[in-house]
Amino acid sequence: MNHNVIEFTNVIKVYPLQTERTAKELLLNLFSNLSKSRTLTIFNNLNFSIKNGETVGVIGKNGAGKSTIMKLIAGVTFPTKGKVVVQKKVAPLIELGAGFHHELTGYENIFLNAAILGMHKKEIDLVIEKIIEFSELQEFMDVPVKKYSTGMYMRLAFSIAVHTNADILIIDEVLAVGDDAFQKKCLNKLKEIKKDQQKTIIFVSHDEKAVKSFCDRAILLDKGKLVFDGDPDEAFTRYHKLSEPANPPQ
Amino acid sequence: MVLTFLEPFIHFKYLLTQLTSRELKARYKQSFIGYAWVILNPLAQLAVYSFVFSMVFKSPSADVPYPVFLFVGLLPWTLFYNSIAQATQSLVQNASLLKKVAFPREIIPYSVIISKLVDFFFSFLVFFGFIFVFKIQLESSAWIFFPLLLLQTAFTIGLSLILSAANLFYRDIQYLVNLVLMLWMYLTPVMYPLSMVPKKYWWVYQLNPMVGIIDGYRSALFGYDLRWELIGWSALISLLMFVIGFVLFKKAEKAFSDVV
Repeated sequence: MNHNVIEFTNVIKVYPLQTERTAKELLLNLFSNLSKSRTLTIFNNLNFSIKNGETVGVIGKNGAGKSTIMKLIAGVTFPTKGKVVVQKKVAPLIELGAGFHHELTGYENIFLNAAILGMHKKEIDLVIEKIIEFSELQEFMDVPVKKYSTGMYMRLAFSIAVHTNADILIIDEVLAVGDDAFQKKCLNKLKEIKKDQQKTIIFVSHDEKAVKSFCDRAILLDKGKLVFDGDPDEAFTRYHKLSEPANPPQ
Repeated sequence: MVLTFLEPFIHFKYLLTQLTSRELKARYKQSFIGYAWVILNPLAQLAVYSFVFSMVFKSPSADVPYPVFLFVGLLPWTLFYNSIAQATQSLVQNASLLKKVAFPREIIPYSVIISKLVDFFFSFLVFFGFIFVFKIQLESSAWIFFPLLLLQTAFTIGLSLILSAANLFYRDIQYLVNLVLMLWMYLTPVMYPLSMVPKKYWWVYQLNPMVGIIDGYRSALFGYDLRWELIGWSALISLLMFVIGFVLFKKAEKAFSDVV
């Protein structure tokens, strides 16, 4: 029950910055002293682990490395050095435009999106009713999703993600969209999932209230370093300290 | 490697089906005649090319009427052209997916190629209309059409995998591909018979693996002598392209989400 489902061991992630992408730039660089291969180090030796059934908030300023952690967990990018072990199936909440096709109807898109999240036809058939009901989009199922509002779009995406059979959910800034009522509904649904202790939830958000009320634990990142790992209240206190500029801008 | 190759067809079968049906369904949404474009498009091309090449240039077409002769070359070529052109762009078009969810990346170009094969079979139905109108007798060697189509598909897959991956790194590829494909058609016996190509150029002309395949379709359906040395060459290149394309693609795959 309480074994680790996610383990980061000495993770180093370096992105190549392709500075010489076009022939024009390449020619210009031949005559200037720009360094040939620039890289961007996101993490230098990152270590942490997440246990089965935990709900973990990941917080940090823009550029702290939150989305790179999510990509490493989702298995779409890989560490330059070190090891990332993810033992169960991951369902990321798919952002607008990625897993949906705007010309297809809401109903067709449920199958497409769920298939992308690794489900099979029979598994989807079992939860399709629940997905539609939770999204509150019953009347719009036969409408192409290009007619949907941003909120409707996100409601459908959220509803599919929480009904998949994945064991690890990545919820990425979802509650920023949708109205208050739906945000509350999402949070309640997540709390319900949390109670079962079957799924691990990773919650990336700037929403202090949501993280504090929902997560058992928070990881605070700053410039690629894990600066705090523990109680969410404490994490936010430290986060606010980070936001106060040490050197006031001139 | 064989197991890796089969993975999309076993564990990710439903995803492959869904992405393929997305390709098929989404394309003609909000269009009045819808899927009929798949048939209308080659018919219009056939009409114009038939006029230009049989009336103006007076291209010979062996002993079958020119439109039938052209049809058998043009439709497989259109399949090849559409598959390569769209598969090349497919990974770039699905960049947001590459950055979010993990699954074998070749599923994306595969879904394009499979949807083009479906289009091909529908548009080929018209061929039976042609046979009826022109009273063509199909020969017993016609079944060879299918192994040839399989070779063409292997070649298409290998080439698409390389081009779609390369296009993630440099977008020049998609523009280059459109140019090359257009010129490639003129260097393949699509609109004229192979016999019109002067013998002294054959040694270089037949290096093009599509020569053996397109010429093979006609020979198979109309019962001409099959040029086995050309087909053998095409088979060799197709299988090589398939294996090399797959191996390279799998090697590059891990870097995809970092470069898009």
